[in-house]
Amino acid sequence: MSSPLTLPATTAARPRSALVAAGAALIAATYLYLVLVQPAEIAEGIGGTSSLITLLGFLGGGALLVAGILPSLSTSSLVLMPLGIALNIAIGQTAGSLGLQIYLDAIGTVLVAVLAGPAAGAATGALSNAIWGLFNPLALPFAAGAALIGLLAGTAARYGMFRRVYLAPVAGLVVGAVGGLVAAPVAAFMFGAAGTVGTNALVAAFRAVGDSLLVAATKQGLTSDTLDKLVVFTLVALLAYALPRRSRAQFPFLRRYGVLAGRTGSATGR
Amino acid sequence: MIRLECSTFAYDGGPVVLSGVDLAVEPGGLVHVVGPSGSGKTTLARLLAGQTGAGSGAQFRGALTLGGDRLGFTGGPADPRIDPAAWSSTVAYAAQRTEGQLSMMSATVAEEIAFGPANRGMPTGELRAAVQATAARLGLTDVLNRDPRRLSGGQLRRTIIAAAVVGNPRVLILDEPFQGLDAGSRAEVARTLEVLRAAGTALVICAPMLPGSVAPHSRVLALAGGRPVFDGTFAQARTAGLERYAIGTEGSAPDLRRAPAAPAVPPRRQVQAGTPLAELSGVSFSYRGENSRRQEKVLRGVDLRVDPGDIVGLTGVNGSGKSTLLQHLNGLLRASSGTVTVAGQPLGRRTAVGRLAGAVGYLFQDTDQQLFERTVLREVAYGPAAAGAGRETAQERARTALAAVGLGHTAGEHPYELGFVERRLVAFASLIASGPAVWVLDEPTAGLDQRGRNRVGDLLLDHAAAGGAVVLATHDGAFADALCTRILELKDGRIFSGGARRGAGGA
Amino acid sequence: MPRRRVFNPLTELLAAALLVVLVLVVNTWQFSLAVLVVAVLPGVLLSGKPRQITLAIAVTAGPLLISSFFLHGLFFPEGTTVLAEWGPARVTAEGLQFAALTGLRLAVFTGVLLTAALTVSIPELVSTLTHRRWNRRLVFVLGSAVGLLPHVAERARQITRAQQARGLVVGGSISARVRGLLMVSVPLVTGLLIDAAERTQLLEARGFSSPGPRTNYLPDTDTAGQRTARWLMAAGVLAFGCAWYAVGAGR
Repeated sequence: MSSPLTLPATTAARPRSALVAAGAALIAATYLYLVLVQPAEIAEGIGGTSSLITLLGFLGGGALLVAGILPSLSTSSLVLMPLGIALNIAIGQTAGSLGLQIYLDAIGTVLVAVLAGPAAGAATGALSNAIWGLFNPLALPFAAGAALIGLLAGTAARYGMFRRVYLAPVAGLVVGAVGGLVAAPVAAFMFGAAGTVGTNALVAAFRAVGDSLLVAATKQGLTSDTLDKLVVFTLVALLAYALPRRSRAQFPFLRRYGVLAGRTGSATGR
Repeated sequence: MIRLECSTFAYDGGPVVLSGVDLAVEPGGLVHVVGPSGSGKTTLARLLAGQTGAGSGAQFRGALTLGGDRLGFTGGPADPRIDPAAWSSTVAYAAQRTEGQLSMMSATVAEEIAFGPANRGMPTGELRAAVQATAARLGLTDVLNRDPRRLSGGQLRRTIIAAAVVGNPRVLILDEPFQGLDAGSRAEVARTLEVLRAAGTALVICAPMLPGSVAPHSRVLALAGGRPVFDGTFAQARTAGLERYAIGTEGSAPDLRRAPAAPAVPPRRQVQAGTPLAELSGVSFSYRGENSRRQEKVLRGVDLRVDPGDIVGLTGVNGSGKSTLLQHLNGLLRASSGTVTVAGQPLGRRTAVGRLAGAVGYLFQDTDQQLFERTVLREVAYGPAAAGAGRETAQERARTALAAVGLGHTAGEHPYELGFVERRLVAFASLIASGPAVWVLDEPTAGLDQRGRNRVGDLLLDHAAAGGAVVLATHDGAFADALCTRILELKDGRIFSGGARRGAGGA
Repeated sequence: MPRRRVFNPLTELLAAALLVVLVLVVNTWQFSLAVLVVAVLPGVLLSGKPRQITLAIAVTAGPLLISSFFLHGLFFPEGTTVLAEWGPARVTAEGLQFAALTGLRLAVFTGVLLTAALTVSIPELVSTLTHRRWNRRLVFVLGSAVGLLPHVAERARQITRAQQARGLVVGGSISARVRGLLMVSVPLVTGLLIDAAERTQLLEARGFSSPGPRTNYLPDTDTAGQRTARWLMAAGVLAFGCAWYAVGAGR
């Protein structure tokens, strides 16, 4: 077709794998460094160095990931991202006003991951925390962890963990555990593991039996993050199955990998 | 100029939703595409806008011709993919839902209008000039610095139109540009469209009903069930008997099955002995919030008594306090002073809104804020189930209510896969299924087609005849005149009684 | 009364970020306190909305500070100087010192970034990023997410009211709460996704994917001087950091 009104045949943009790999490597290296090297230093108080490495390593890694992923996303995935980010914050607030005791602040990230795939999920997670950082700087250092949640949620969706509603909480449990592990050094080295009353009680309990700060923060992360993600994944599965077919039809990722069961969804989904 | 030949169009392997259409729009022409809900108007508008749905599995067989270019489509993967940016520089499109038409990136109306040309790299200086010229043409200069998310309905529509036409396209396609607007706002939008037409932009306007008055030589294409049923001038259309396709004319009286039963009941209810179903006495209200600096009273000492058999119409311009008054009846808002009594019980500060749902049913203006279930039946059964009816009873009542609104056949479908009018009626059915004695309806006929409007009218009369009561806020004067036992005008938070209306006009 | 803006948002945000880096590099309580008093305090006072920013800082950092003191004040197994002891809880001097240091750094971190972020005009930031030719997809996600936030919150509020009107009672058992959450989030998400589908078409029609540079309606408030200053600031902090660690290693 040579008409000026038409587009040439599709040339799907590829993610810039070098940037993505560099980002992932930076995040992994930061995590390993913090876990392997720091426990010795913590007795004398948290060094500024470890905070700095946490901040720069995780934020820089997140930025590289986003830079690698963004050019490859379709416009429809891209339009979803701000929505997921806004939902992360808004549903978290609604949950509070309805009197729920969990944060649910990854619900948008997981939703985008399920509808548009792991790459979009990872970018949403990272950017979500970066943008949230404009209102709540404490969210900023957790950007890499949020990206990981998005990535893993999308991967779980890709391999059929959302084809049955009862599988989603299992996936949430696993993803939450990984997320908790990654978030622990951030909590420990940036904020001295201080958090909400609930998480603090847990950390205090582990500290009381003599755990180091990082170990206590890790155990706390494993406990509360798994619970939170379990609920979030379940909710997203219920949400996804409640969507009308018209809305689902927009997302090629759903079709290509048969992310949600059946045409009607409800028959097998419940 | 532009021509659409559509032999068939279907979404994702579904049934054919549009077929047999051949529509050519001449430069400077005006075409009204009318048809009831589900007749294929939106599909037609999207096709004209170049959205052939190739990416989402839709199948389009036919052709689109723009200028000298004819693009043929066979519904296969080898079909041409339209470049939306190139297409929209000639054919602009303003869709039905307003929220999806804002980029959400703009803090001001000016930035929103500038979004298109800015994406094409127009230098900032030229951009400002273009935006200001468009705003001046369409009368938006005063709102250029306002937040587009906080505009009135009419201003928002006009902003969207301005953003679509800032690049001077030759054709503008509008899908239900008047939906949900009051008379004043409709006039604003109509003026805007007239300005564009006078400047030579061809217009295609999709709407559920024939407009009340337009240039007699404008063209009308009527659709029903996805097929064209009439194609001719506006003057011909008015006498073509389109009513048999449920295509009415704006501002006409509803066609009611049951004659308004006024004469049987004393028109001016002197008997005040029985307890009213709901009563407001001396109610004043002002919004408290960090955003509203003005502590101005929205309601000032309102008295309203609603007895069995009443159909009370509330009229008044936007912002006169109609919705505020309605929301006092079901406890969503609590009076700053004065008392509200529902079913003989005065409302306390702590009465949960959810507990009143069985006594007062409320229909919101925006239906899509409440549908949440996966099937229509479950949706409608939610109210009775929440009120404690058993599963069987709740479903039974839901089926009855669905049959009453004429949607018995949709029980198994997903609420969001129905058309706008059906969704509205589903929301209405869920109100009915909860069995409240008082129906509080905010703009019940807005956006409905003729069939839906008549159906709602019949339901209101039946409810009143059975000893229930209805309070409705409406801009639909003909509807209110035909149905209401009393019409009250709200102005500056006070009621100016219009007195008994139906006795005067309807007899 | 809004503050008269002196610098471009990008410059201000970068300055705040670099200040945080400096605090972390120097890592002494004296320096952290000095930043708090010399930079954050005047920044808040001159912001034009000191109450709002103070409140935001208090809400964000306050609970963390308090819980930090309880956590480390009472449970710090590494501590040796025991001041008091109740069962498993031991108040140690090291724990209190640790809590004070972490708390101070936290306060600086929150204070510096929030003061900068809350005084920055997001539209101006978006405009600057466009004029500086940042990735337009990134700019869209930033601008649109910030723009959607109030919209989503308002819709969630309206939907909650609509559902209350048809019988949703907030609270109750866990299952009732989850159901309540679904009653609000299903219409919310469905509506937003339908809007998103239309917004996708809209963006394409408005030339979002067109190649070539973009412009912005708002004028470019950035200057060559500020651009240079940003590079200099970043280089300065980098050099200072290297020097600091080199000296520290030699000590």
